Amino acid sequence: MDRVLRIDEITRVEGHGGITVIIDGDHVKDVTMNIFEGPRFFESIIKTVYYDKVPDVMRRICAICTASHSLASIRAIENAFNVQVSEQTQTLRDLLINGETIESHTLHVFMLSLPDYLGYPDALRMASKHPEIVKAALELKKAGNMIHNILSGREVHGMNERVGGFSKTPSERKLAALKEELLKVKKTAELAVELFAKIQPLGCVDSNNIFMALDPGEHYGFIGDSVLISDGSRYHINDYLEIIKEKTVKQSTAKLSTYKNTPFMVGALARIFLNKDKLEGTAETLFKTYRSIINERNPLTNNIAQAIELVQSVERAVTLIDELKSRKLIREHVPVVNVKEGRGVGAVEAPRGTLYHDYTFDNRGCIVKCNVITPTAQNIASMEKHYREIAERMIKEQDDKIKFNLELLARAYDPCISCATHIIRLKHNR
Amino acid sequence: MNVSKNNGKPKIGVFSLTGCAGDQLMILNLEDELLELLTKFDIKAFQEASSYYENSELDIAFVEGSVSTEHDLKVLKNIRSKSALLVAIGDCATNGCVQAMRNNQTSIAEKMLEVYGVKDNIYMAVEPKGIGEFVKVDYEIPGCPIEKDEILNAMISLLHGDPPLIPDHPVCVECKLNGYPCVIVEEGKPCLGPIIKAGCDARCPGLGLDCIGCRGLITGESNAEAELEALRKRGYSDKYIINRLRFFGGNFDDITVLGKPKPSEKRGDK
Repeated sequence: MDRVLRIDEITRVEGHGGITVIIDGDHVKDVTMNIFEGPRFFESIIKTVYYDKVPDVMRRICAICTASHSLASIRAIENAFNVQVSEQTQTLRDLLINGETIESHTLHVFMLSLPDYLGYPDALRMASKHPEIVKAALELKKAGNMIHNILSGREVHGMNERVGGFSKTPSERKLAALKEELLKVKKTAELAVELFAKIQPLGCVDSNNIFMALDPGEHYGFIGDSVLISDGSRYHINDYLEIIKEKTVKQSTAKLSTYKNTPFMVGALARIFLNKDKLEGTAETLFKTYRSIINERNPLTNNIAQAIELVQSVERAVTLIDELKSRKLIREHVPVVNVKEGRGVGAVEAPRGTLYHDYTFDNRGCIVKCNVITPTAQNIASMEKHYREIAERMIKEQDDKIKFNLELLARAYDPCISCATHIIRLKHNR
Repeated sequence: MNVSKNNGKPKIGVFSLTGCAGDQLMILNLEDELLELLTKFDIKAFQEASSYYENSELDIAFVEGSVSTEHDLKVLKNIRSKSALLVAIGDCATNGCVQAMRNNQTSIAEKMLEVYGVKDNIYMAVEPKGIGEFVKVDYEIPGCPIEKDEILNAMISLLHGDPPLIPDHPVCVECKLNGYPCVIVEEGKPCLGPIIKAGCDARCPGLGLDCIGCRGLITGESNAEAELEALRKRGYSDKYIINRLRFFGGNFDDITVLGKPKPSEKRGDK
């Protein structure tokens, strides 16, 4: 009889999902990531909406990466209508998305992943033994949220970043206060790296992985127009459908994203590997120090990759504030957009990986077609590949131990299931 | 209100149905107060934050997300049956939020076909609605997302056995208190502030943007006549206004009821 390992609901992740592994004797027969997040049909409901309110709706796909969705959405619209933005706007957007990385990675690294390794069910219970870590982490998260507050208007589902620029230019006074906060929490970001460097990543995953990430240009960052792939190829984001194939497997109801028929990974680990030469300052030093721990064959090291990005983002945010200050902030106004019929693709690196928004507009500037591919949707095939590997390597172990490791791996990917829903498996397993 | 206390701490659960999990996140965003706040409660469930889960009777359940699937409904009914008080947090739970904006316009089958390429309702999706359409809701904390201070104050009020205080006056009040210029009058923007619940400190008008209505329509009386007249005068059609109100107002379609107080027992009680 088949041995069935079922995790009904992975906790400490964004959204609702589970894992099922079916083992037949000494053979892993089937591995499935189950999603039971209700569908929200964003690509359908957004149709006929006039461009200016599109980002306000689309950012609501996700709370934890709300600015990534709004920026991908805004950039898709700008590409469709040939809208150019100022250098100041570009810098402010860079700052905003670094803030998102700080807020999201802190939540994930300290609150969601670390409790596993220190043996607690959550950060609150972890706080009873390690109050200093949890308090410091909350301060770091707050600094990331402060960036959202100042640039976007609030922590979740802000509204200040618009097509063409920012509705209200943030004041230099606020940016100065922000810089002060960032300098205070820098140590905590470094602590994240040290903590995860001490944890021995479990050795039960060791296989070849293909990585994908956007080319951020001159500096390490999260916005770009080309996709880098670890096999050495490079594509323009407009051609994303050429590289990412949604493949139907098993029954007609399952769809998985692959690249040349192989699962691939997006996210912090992918970015660190593809853009490692662009890491700067302390992040670069820490990366070099712990280079041997950060293993491209083990996705569990995504945690330490996120920690290094935390350091990178805090430092980068300070640099961006300095740049804004030295250039003097100008009160800009959002330009009038000339709408036209056409299509635009926008991509950003959300905390969990590359996010694509693709819109087609009619001549009145209303959406006629929309496609969104989220990072977690792209990672599902890779997650299943690694679940299988864990189950195979641990096949002789007790169920609970295997399940713990499966959940550990799921969490290391930092899945955002509320984002991912649109893709996946149309199978309701509950 | 009766909150039975266990070691002086009310037993609570934080649950989420279909949505972006942003309201749970706003609770976690209470960085300065979180640790102290959570020690005041006996937390039995908090999906996004903890692996700890106890399927026990609760004094207060906080529920975010809309009912979008049969599964959501089952979960919701279970939560209701074991909770003395049920608090809907965020626009998904109060009104269905953006996923409900095409209710009665696009069928589930059409949406399935368009997004997933199949007509069959394999997700067992239902038209998304706020939870008050299915079970009795004791209190509603509005917003997309909820305001941190509002949920903090609500949790403290409930801790002391008091009902949460939610404003039911228009966003305009906060706009004026802040001295912001009116974006309808000055810029002709289609601001919904005059008919939308305050409590956000007029965030959007403060940034020079029109209120998009994420806190939902005022429950009591509002001067909707004047708002409609102001928008129509600036070229916005009734259809446009209705569509805008549907972003966060689910099944809204009757512009003539705007401004009239909602009957107090509007919600389903099952």
